[in-house]
Amino acid sequence: MDWGRVKFFLGEVGRSFTRNTVMQITAIGTVAVMVTLLGAFLFIRTTLADLGNGVLEQIEISAYLDPNVTPQQVAALRAAFKADPRITSAEFIPKSEGLKELRERMRGVVDTSLLTQNPLPDKFRIRVRAPELVPAVAADLHRLNGIGNVVYGQALVERLLRLGIVLRRIGMVLIGVFLIVAGIIISNTTRLAVYARRREIAIMQLVGATNLYVRMPFICEGLIDGLIGAIAAIIVLGVARVTVWPRMLEALPFVQFNAAVVDLPSLVLQLLLVGGIVGVLAAWISVGRYLQT
Amino acid sequence: MISLRGVSLLYPNGVRALDDVSLEIAKGEFVFLVGHSGTGKSSLLRLLYRETRPTAGDITVDGIRVDHLTSMRVPALRRHLGVVFQDFKLLPDKTVWENVAFAMQVTGAPTKDIMRQVPRALDLVGLSHRSRMYPDELSGGEQQRTAIARALVNNPKILLCDEPTGNLDPANTTEIVDLLLRINLKGTTVVVATHNQAVVDRMRRRVVRLDNGKITTDKERGYYYLGLGQSQVLSG
Ligand SMILES: Nc1ncnc2c1ncn2[C@@H]1O[C@H](COP(=O)(O)OP(=O)(O)OP(=O)(O)O)[C@@H](O)[C@H]1O
Ligand SMILES: [Mg+2]
Repeated sequence: MDWGRVKFFLGEVGRSFTRNTVMQITAIGTVAVMVTLLGAFLFIRTTLADLGNGVLEQIEISAYLDPNVTPQQVAALRAAFKADPRITSAEFIPKSEGLKELRERMRGVVDTSLLTQNPLPDKFRIRVRAPELVPAVAADLHRLNGIGNVVYGQALVERLLRLGIVLRRIGMVLIGVFLIVAGIIISNTTRLAVYARRREIAIMQLVGATNLYVRMPFICEGLIDGLIGAIAAIIVLGVARVTVWPRMLEALPFVQFNAAVVDLPSLVLQLLLVGGIVGVLAAWISVGRYLQT
Repeated sequence: MISLRGVSLLYPNGVRALDDVSLEIAKGEFVFLVGHSGTGKSSLLRLLYRETRPTAGDITVDGIRVDHLTSMRVPALRRHLGVVFQDFKLLPDKTVWENVAFAMQVTGAPTKDIMRQVPRALDLVGLSHRSRMYPDELSGGEQQRTAIARALVNNPKILLCDEPTGNLDPANTTEIVDLLLRINLKGTTVVVATHNQAVVDRMRRRVVRLDNGKITTDKERGYYYLGLGQSQVLSG
């Protein structure tokens, strides 16, 4: 290991880094803000996605049987449900139990004692593996022998599906915008740093330094900007997790977030990676442009 | 060592800086490049260290076809060349020692080579006692000697100088020219573009004269004007 070389290189990076403190702070600050927003978004999206899956477990398809269905037909239906990989459970609810459930649900709303006879047929309560399967499974059930009406929370399913898609799209756009903004600020910082060091660069090129060598200090600078920004963001997020998060849960009691599903180490790693990559890429492009002209 | 064949250089703005120039410079030669302002001296030197590419013609420098060189290979060429300018191009926040070492550090030279060669280069230009000083603490001549030490520290076979004495008074000019001569005597090929008639006439070396981008005179032991001695002009 040639320590003289290492020392010289670190000296060059340090010199470049400390030359324009205001710009460095701006770059780091921008990355920090962007990564904080990104981290918060990813966190909330993960917890909400879990919420979505939880709700969907409660979404059931009610497949009502024809009044004159035969026991053989019921057995065949059970086998068909079992064979269908999309269906996770199929529970037979006899009409007496169905009525009991209905009475329970309508208690205080409608006077159910007026019901003198049971209007409900027997039914299967069916749950499926994923929300997007619900409409297709319902349509298939409808075609089976012995099944009459098929009912499910159509509006709810569709709303949840749409919500998932919208969230994902907003996420993509937000992430893209965040990264582009952070990239522009870093590449601007790099441009200023390159400009401040144009004499050094000219001399380096004159005496035969390779392009990679000329780039290196700026790339390191971009990397440092990105990483420090990401670390700042992670600290902010960590503090928010213990201070803001519980209050948010209190403020929104009707939404169920599940913070336990978030894999924190991997989220931290992702944010560091994003910060570092944005810093390196932005700096690389910015110096590259300068060196080519 | 340096060879140009039918070289023309047309700048994008339409200026024809060099027009069908052919020139051979042998190993160990000392050549003055003279001519009016704007006749293409700097342009010719820039072609040699591949700062610019010719519009037409072949250029070979130390066996390397410079006109065909991809930008990837430019650093390798530059390590075989030393280049010195009128404005020294020193880094103000580095000492004399650091300025000279810089040329080795940025090419990834091992520290032990740097520790050996920087003192040698400083000794050659007579600046060992100034090594801890900063450029703004030096005279113009000392600054130029620092720049020459930096150009020589990688032991190039060729030294290109563009108006090296343009910013110096006569005493410093003499000092620098003597230094260039000593460097040449050690075997380095030296090419000097200059306006300085006194220097050229005193040295009596090969003089290549450019006029409007063409070589008009090329004379061994020449003078600044017409490549002729003043005595010859007077007697002829
Ligand atoms: N980068 C450039 N782009 C366009 N034209 C240029 C460029 N550099 C030089 N020129 C033109 O090319 C011609 C030759 O310029 P050059 O600098 O080679 O002359 P020179 O002999 O070195 O002059 P001087 O003695 O004043 O240094 C001039 O007319 C100049 O205006
Ligand atoms: Mg010139």
